[in-house]
Amino acid sequence: MKKQSLTKTMNPGVQFLINYAVPIIFTILVAFAIPLSGLSNEYLVREIMTRLSRDSFLILALLVPVMAGMGMNFSIVLGAMAGQIGLIFITDWQIIGLPGVLLALLISTPIAILLGYIAGIVLNHAKGREMVTGFMLAFFMNGIYQLVVLYGMGNIIPISNSRILLPRGYGIRNAISLVDIRQVLDKLIPLKIGGILIPVVTLLVIAALCVFIIWFKKTKLGQEIRIVGQDNDVARISGINVERTRILSIVISTVLACYGQIIFLQNIGNMNTYGGHSQVGVFAIAALLVGGATVAKANIPNVFIGLILFHTMFVVSPRAGRALMGQAQLGEYFRVFVSYGVIAFSLALYAWRKRVEKENERKKIMNYRKAFSQSSNTTGGNKF
Amino acid sequence: MRKRIIIRTALVAALILIGIFLYAIGKEHKVLIDNRDISVGDITYSASTTYVVWVDNQEIGVIKKGERNAAIAIGISHKIVVEEIKSNVLTGEKHEKRFRLKTNESTTINIPAMINNANEWINKTN
Repeated sequence: MKKQSLTKTMNPGVQFLINYAVPIIFTILVAFAIPLSGLSNEYLVREIMTRLSRDSFLILALLVPVMAGMGMNFSIVLGAMAGQIGLIFITDWQIIGLPGVLLALLISTPIAILLGYIAGIVLNHAKGREMVTGFMLAFFMNGIYQLVVLYGMGNIIPISNSRILLPRGYGIRNAISLVDIRQVLDKLIPLKIGGILIPVVTLLVIAALCVFIIWFKKTKLGQEIRIVGQDNDVARISGINVERTRILSIVISTVLACYGQIIFLQNIGNMNTYGGHSQVGVFAIAALLVGGATVAKANIPNVFIGLILFHTMFVVSPRAGRALMGQAQLGEYFRVFVSYGVIAFSLALYAWRKRVEKENERKKIMNYRKAFSQSSNTTGGNKF
Repeated sequence: MRKRIIIRTALVAALILIGIFLYAIGKEHKVLIDNRDISVGDITYSASTTYVVWVDNQEIGVIKKGERNAAIAIGISHKIVVEEIKSNVLTGEKHEKRFRLKTNESTTINIPAMINNANEWINKTN
């Protein structure tokens, strides 16, 4: 991956501030908001633990496309849709407990692979504009998802459970109770430390994914993805099938997002059929960016730093908003403002860095040309 | 190439089998438990007392004479245990039966028939 050489000439302190502007701003905000909120430490730790187990998988799903130079994968929403379709089926079939979650994973995997493959093909046609294309693709696929779930299920796809079917006989209800699979992973090995439930199995699954990502980077495919991320042309000359590698990275990301959504929803215990997936991409990307990741570089520590900072902000902002302005609603607005704002800020910062980097490169070439032409003049050689 | 196709086919088949297995072991079944009189041919098994009922080691609760309760059982093989209550005290007299349910089956269990070992103690429906 290209190293950011934007501020080579700047002093290290300024360079650090520019590179980690987003996490620094968030740390300051959180440091101010926690005492204002008046929440106890125990409550905060419990909430962060819950969100750590709930959201980590989804954010980790974003790492592979960043490695492949495709930026933040807004099309993880497609994976979330696949996960929800799996959950609709197990609810209809009344498969409950851990087998239900595992079956949902199994059913949704081929759907996620297919959607990831489609997304990969589309993104290959939009090289350099993957993020906005992914964003729009998510909207487009949301339309198809709604068509399938609202009109296809019960009509073409057999669904018979009256608990999830709309009274008219086709289409799925707006909210589905997942009470039969609620927290089955989290409570599989019950462990409480200081009154805080530790979701051992979920954390182990997340740890396994982290190990997988570290291992994956060292595999042949992982190396190929990294080379593609650095330079498509160099990768092509090296004999790597760039298009295939990019598709594979999106497929992996989509499948992981699908699993992430199932883990997320089993923790919550209910599902918003038509809206549950739509914000997944934005919140996961915002959390990753808050952790200090950029469009071109993201790693596992970014995931966890971002998750803790972003979700601490989520937890404390309504209370802090009420303490400051007398209205909890303000804190809610602040959450949304922060989510979108942090993405905009990070993207703008990244674009600015790139521009400065290009400018530096241009200046360097100009200086080199100047020096070369001067030396040619003095030696009487050919002009550059 | 052929080896690759065989491996992929085997993998897909294995995943389908795992799916079927998960479906079978995770399927929810409704179990209705009656503590009511039941007539089988000329014989009538009468409900005479109150019972505490467990299905798959989960306590369902107390079922008084003439009452019905419902339980949710998961999977294929199940066990029902009933214990008599007399004068609000558990007598320690337990009756246990095992039963199996297919994926699409629900069942109604009659306690008087069950404790008398009548064949009609269980009535499975699709």
